[in-house]
Amino acid sequence: MMPFKEIVREALKSQAAAKQRTLLALIGIVIGIGSVIALVTVGEMVQLTSEQQFRQMGTNIITIQRGWGDSQGGGGNQDRQDQMITWEEAKGLAKKFPKLEAVAAYTSTWGQPLFADKSLDMPVLGVTRSFAELNKLTLTKGRFISDLDGYSFFGVLGAGAAAKLAKMGAGDPLGKTVFFKGRGFKIVGVLARAEEGGMRPFEINPGMMIPIHTSFLFKKERVINEIMARLAPGMDRQRLTSGLNKYFKMYQPDMSIQVRSAEQLINEMAKQSRLFTLLLGAIGSISLLVGGIGVMNVMLVAVSERRKEIGVRRALGAMQSDIRAQFLVESVILCLAGGLIGIALGVGAAYVLAKVNGWIFFVSGMGLALGVGVSSAIGVFFGYFPARQASRLNPILALRDE
Amino acid sequence: MALIELRGITKTYYIGDMSVDVLRGVDLTVEPGELLAIMGESGGGKSTLMNIIGFLDSPSGGGYQFEGQDAGHLDDNELAHIRNQKIGFIFQQFNLLPRLNALENVMLPLVYRGVPPQQREKVAKQMLKRVGMADRMAHRPPELSGGQQQRVAIARALSGNPSLILADEPTGALDSQVSQEILDIFLELNRENEITTVMVTHDPKVGKQCRRTVRMTDGHLLEV
Repeated sequence: MMPFKEIVREALKSQAAAKQRTLLALIGIVIGIGSVIALVTVGEMVQLTSEQQFRQMGTNIITIQRGWGDSQGGGGNQDRQDQMITWEEAKGLAKKFPKLEAVAAYTSTWGQPLFADKSLDMPVLGVTRSFAELNKLTLTKGRFISDLDGYSFFGVLGAGAAAKLAKMGAGDPLGKTVFFKGRGFKIVGVLARAEEGGMRPFEINPGMMIPIHTSFLFKKERVINEIMARLAPGMDRQRLTSGLNKYFKMYQPDMSIQVRSAEQLINEMAKQSRLFTLLLGAIGSISLLVGGIGVMNVMLVAVSERRKEIGVRRALGAMQSDIRAQFLVESVILCLAGGLIGIALGVGAAYVLAKVNGWIFFVSGMGLALGVGVSSAIGVFFGYFPARQASRLNPILALRDE
Repeated sequence: MALIELRGITKTYYIGDMSVDVLRGVDLTVEPGELLAIMGESGGGKSTLMNIIGFLDSPSGGGYQFEGQDAGHLDDNELAHIRNQKIGFIFQQFNLLPRLNALENVMLPLVYRGVPPQQREKVAKQMLKRVGMADRMAHRPPELSGGQQQRVAIARALSGNPSLILADEPTGALDSQVSQEILDIFLELNRENEITTVMVTHDPKVGKQCRRTVRMTDGHLLEV
């Protein structure tokens, strides 16, 4: 039996000799492994990044909204207003539930505020002081909305909105006036960019924040869109949720609410992204299957082109297992080479995607191991049949081959 | 003890429903140190007999004793093993592997024997020197002439220190002057090192120089 090191050396020589064909066969494997690596890596990066966003705000954040699911049945559209959470209900929460460390109710409207007679498409949020704290917002200029602002017409711009205004020639927006529903709002602060995702309302960056009482002036009733709250450590969520449901039913018997916690969302997201990763992996596997068949084809051609060589080796004393090992190792080396190039390309693609989308770049050892493992496995799987065929050639007929 | 003892060897090939008797009872004894030429027209069964003697093929019937051991019915691995240990093949078309250089080609039988690299390189270099190819060791077969390639092939056959050299038309692809040079190597190896050689040829000039000649006709073997 030929030692393994010799088999590998022979295989490398054979591959080097058939450069062009080798290269062509590699393309399928390169693309296959590359896409699997890129997709798996992207999946993991997205997961890591979104988890990070949640963690930044703390995983003990919950949001309370009115339930959408079961309130639809009897009422229809005109009842919706009745089933909104009211400011009074939101205000009472902190007293009733001392385990809620911070509570921030807010309203959200889309509108076309005007600046310098030009219309801006931006969300307007009615907020309280605690909104900044819960969302971990920081200011680049001025101050945030204060609870002493009452019904005054002050506005704080999100980073995106400020940039928009600057583009329209506002320069420093501090002290400038933005008109909304006919009223002029003096800009008193500008926020730093807040990372999107997690529990943060997406309206922050592109929007303008005004005092919540002022926002009620534009509504028929003092109703809010969502309540954010931070839980004290060691709070039982199940019990809190049923307590909150009872609380709101006290005011509106038909009311159902929906409580979402960061932890719950993270778990859901992890589950989803796992599914996503699996799905993408499956797509990559299809290209690998195609690549594998390409390799099998190349190996079959190699076997038929090298019948004479096989005959000579057999005459010199190679056993069937030697010949099989030789072609199997060639096939594995072929696939591994493709796999390594694929890994490099896949990681490169993931890096570019991470930079473009602002994800955390991260290459998992498992992804790399998967790439190497899968390409070797493909080499063995698709190389086995040609290798067996080579080993079973009749040495006499093979020798006679020209 | 005879090196080769064939008794009533038959070989029948089946092609569909037809059977072809290629060997019809061949008796042959070859003693150690002999230089034997097997002559005859093509289709007479020379190659089949060579394949059986060289353990590339098994006989359909009859008895084959090699070095006193029954060698008639061996499985594929046993055949490979005995080829590797006992036989040195030389072919009409040289059959060197074109991607390997002369030295690597000569080392190949030792690779399958599991001989460590340094030792097999030493042996291979010796053999190449012996056939006058010491200065061409790094050349690959396409860079060598026919005569040079056959010299390398002889070195390859010798590298395993075989009990028997089997040469199938070793000069068939060479012009007459080079043929004589190659034949001289065989004669010298046989004379000086008592290497048992069985050679298939249809060249009477070659046959004449061998100490013993047999003729294969229609599946039978006749002493000349």
